[in-house]
Amino acid sequence: MLSNLGNIFIIVALLISFLLVFFSFKEFKTNNNLIPVKIYKISLLQLFFTASSFIILLLAYVLSDFSLANVYENSHTNKPLFYKISGTWGNHEGSLLLWINILVLFSSLFLFINKNNDKDFKILTLLFQNILVIIFLIFLLSNSNPFSKLFPIPLEGLGLNPILQDPALAIHPPLLYVGFVGSSIYFSAALAALISKIDSQSLAISIKPWVLVSWFFQTVGILVGSIWAYYELGWGGYWFWDPVENSSLMPWFVMTALLHSILVLERRIGLYSWVIVLSILTFTMSVTGTFLVRSGILNSVHTFASDPSRGLFILSFLIIMVFFSIYIFFKFAPNESKKYTIFSKETFIIANNWFMIFFLGVVLIGTLYPVFLDTITGSKISVGPPYYNLVLAPFLIPLLFLMTSGPNYKWISHETKSFFDLVLVLSVILFLITFLLIKESSFLLNLILFFSIYLIIQTLFDFYESFKKKNINISRIISHLGFGLLIFFIYINHIFSQENNFNLKLGEIKKTDQYIIKFENLEEKSIKNYKSIVGYFNISDKKTSITKELKPEIRVYDKPITITYEASIESNLFSDTYLTMSNISETDVFNIKFQVKPFMNFIWFSVLLLSLGGLLNFLSRNKNEKN
Amino acid sequence: MRKINYIIISILFSFLFIILYSSLDNERIYNTKDLIGKKISQVEINLFQSNETINTEEFINNEFTILNFWASWCAPCRKEHPNLVRLSKIKNIKLVGVNIKDNVESAKSFLKENGNPFDILAEDKNGKNSVNFGVYGIPETILIDSELKILKKYIGPLNIKDVNEIRKLVKK
Amino acid sequence: MLLKKVKIRLSILLALSVLSVLAIFLLFKVLEDNVLYFYSPSEIKNSDEINLKKKIRIGGIVKKGSIQSSERDIKFIVTDTKNEIIVSYSGTVPALFAEGKGVVAEGNLKDKKFFVAKRILAKHDENYMPPEVEESLNINAK
Repeated sequence: MLSNLGNIFIIVALLISFLLVFFSFKEFKTNNNLIPVKIYKISLLQLFFTASSFIILLLAYVLSDFSLANVYENSHTNKPLFYKISGTWGNHEGSLLLWINILVLFSSLFLFINKNNDKDFKILTLLFQNILVIIFLIFLLSNSNPFSKLFPIPLEGLGLNPILQDPALAIHPPLLYVGFVGSSIYFSAALAALISKIDSQSLAISIKPWVLVSWFFQTVGILVGSIWAYYELGWGGYWFWDPVENSSLMPWFVMTALLHSILVLERRIGLYSWVIVLSILTFTMSVTGTFLVRSGILNSVHTFASDPSRGLFILSFLIIMVFFSIYIFFKFAPNESKKYTIFSKETFIIANNWFMIFFLGVVLIGTLYPVFLDTITGSKISVGPPYYNLVLAPFLIPLLFLMTSGPNYKWISHETKSFFDLVLVLSVILFLITFLLIKESSFLLNLILFFSIYLIIQTLFDFYESFKKKNINISRIISHLGFGLLIFFIYINHIFSQENNFNLKLGEIKKTDQYIIKFENLEEKSIKNYKSIVGYFNISDKKTSITKELKPEIRVYDKPITITYEASIESNLFSDTYLTMSNISETDVFNIKFQVKPFMNFIWFSVLLLSLGGLLNFLSRNKNEKN
Repeated sequence: MRKINYIIISILFSFLFIILYSSLDNERIYNTKDLIGKKISQVEINLFQSNETINTEEFINNEFTILNFWASWCAPCRKEHPNLVRLSKIKNIKLVGVNIKDNVESAKSFLKENGNPFDILAEDKNGKNSVNFGVYGIPETILIDSELKILKKYIGPLNIKDVNEIRKLVKK
Repeated sequence: MLLKKVKIRLSILLALSVLSVLAIFLLFKVLEDNVLYFYSPSEIKNSDEINLKKKIRIGGIVKKGSIQSSERDIKFIVTDTKNEIIVSYSGTVPALFAEGKGVVAEGNLKDKKFFVAKRILAKHDENYMPPEVEESLNINAK
């Protein structure tokens, strides 16, 4: 029943999308100044049908309707309701439907909210966006239909992989999708802007909120993803430079560059073509990321069910999209004259852009290099974290410096004032204190430390100044502060992290440099859908003689039969104590990984601060509009 | 200048896409061509719910044998099952089902629900034996002739096309 | 006047391209130093040029009955059905690590028969095996 209904809704949505493309195209050729009501109505109808089809799939999951192959493969009746719901997008087919929903949602929102725009521009954006919708709907229907039927109807589903039963993982795909797919709307808008030749200011105004929204969600999505990796993978790391993680980071770099360039475009005419290139590049990177993840050509710790035919489809789409964009760009892009003085805000923003593009290039090369080498020479390699750290770290120094000094320069040109720099002195003092505490010998790391402190102090100072002047650019301050803190805490975390791997039997004691770890007890428990072996560990600090109890688990789930190792993490404000145990030989020897990770909560908080800046900018903009 | 940029960028992207495209082909794990014509390795497998075993050497008595690796927890297996039932109607093929890492009760109810196409039902409780057949995931299906040579190996669920292909192969 | 402008532009262009070539060259140098090559036990046996100091990845199937735990480490045998190698490791293993399953280990080769792993990788999916492992198994199935 639900299967048929879902299929019907999808087909209707596809027909409506064709209609929308047809009418937009016809409308583009007329000389009317207003978009006819008809188009608004069709767009609403399209939103209704796509949203309904998603709700039907959601319902099928909640009601455990196993006549849908998709529900059968990914759900189970005794799964908690929360994971039944998140199961909807926890698989390829469902997530594609979510992807389409976001495309359509952004298409209608753009049509309804941007009321004061050029008609041709709006209609063309709608046209391009709905071509995207059609392509993905066809992909869904022909290759990845979440509503395919199963006969005979099974009595019970197969269950969701227990590793995926985690709140952070359940919510992070939708977040990333709003970021990934949200970038489609300014891709469409950029192409439309080229053809309709709207001026740079209206382009900036009309795409800025969408860039901010997608950037915010992308940032939070990446954050939640790394929190999941930290808690669930049991390695104690939060970023592995894994291809899947990289493919969410690559669009983020471009979005960040775009965000900054739009600030220029809003006020001045420069960078028009550049903003368009970045808009196109963001969505291209999002689709490339999706291709890399879904086609299975990369090796990753995060496995997705992969299928070459899906890869082929996404790749064909990517090829058409890129060449079409290149063609449109070179046919319509205006010639620009460039005039700015060197010490202006613009220069710094352009510098920011170059850094972001450089970071993008580094990550892209690192991610694709194994693919290239395999294709050309056949040797199998993977690129390790040292590559990224080695190449990216030195460039953090100038970036941090530019972030510190750039925002205080005026637009167009700037006269340098000389004054006794309190901020610099304060930073130097703070740096020396930290240096004496840490005694790190690497010159490079010390420079990074210093410049991150400098950035933090300067932004705090700016914060105070702007309050005095009542001229608050609070979003920039918060985001830059977040970034400074992030680098600072990653650095501290990197220096003070401890890791010990050893094997223990019940009742034994292991002494490390600073801690005494005692394996006190072992207990078996039986819980609703899994059996659990809980280890009781007593950790005591030799210096402070503070003791902690940690209880890592080995879980054996029954649907499907899967073993997971649950890390036990004792988290307080300044430091996390992290312990995982496993037992592979089925003897009484347990394998233990014991870690101490300082300032983890501060790292999460810094990223939150970073994203909050974007959100604030978005909200304050809307407030300004109303006034 | 503009034209040159246009050409350079197009060429760069073309190169990138060609590599990505060929990697798509390259990485296709499911390449079983090498196996065709090879003799199947000699393995002893347990019969389902019994202490007896069967040796792959014994398949020499059959005109054609199909080895199918399945489990009740495997979704694609459920999809391909009707096709196995179709194959069981072909006279000169003996179907051997190897049940992998499964719960006995759910395996039984799976066959009750969907029909039992297998002439011989074997089990591989911990999946260790299947490694000897070069089985990577399930479902997988191997067609061998009376000389124990592999005629064809299918990775992933069998579809109607595969069934027709097998029909043709055993007709000769 | 025009000529001068063209000259300046040309020299900027030249400088930029030299710089970017240099940057790309350096980038690939770092990349080349930091890649982990993947080998199967057979490749290790047949190759003479594997650097013992360089970190590599090996992969295959964990041989049944080969896992041994002691207070110091875990030892197991990785096989690609033709050749074998003993792996020693200390620490926790991923949840999907088991006998008869595909595994990828990262670490250093001590000699052609002995490997010390720093990290063990396994995949989330029950039906999944790292493509690298599968390919090397395919080759050895010939």
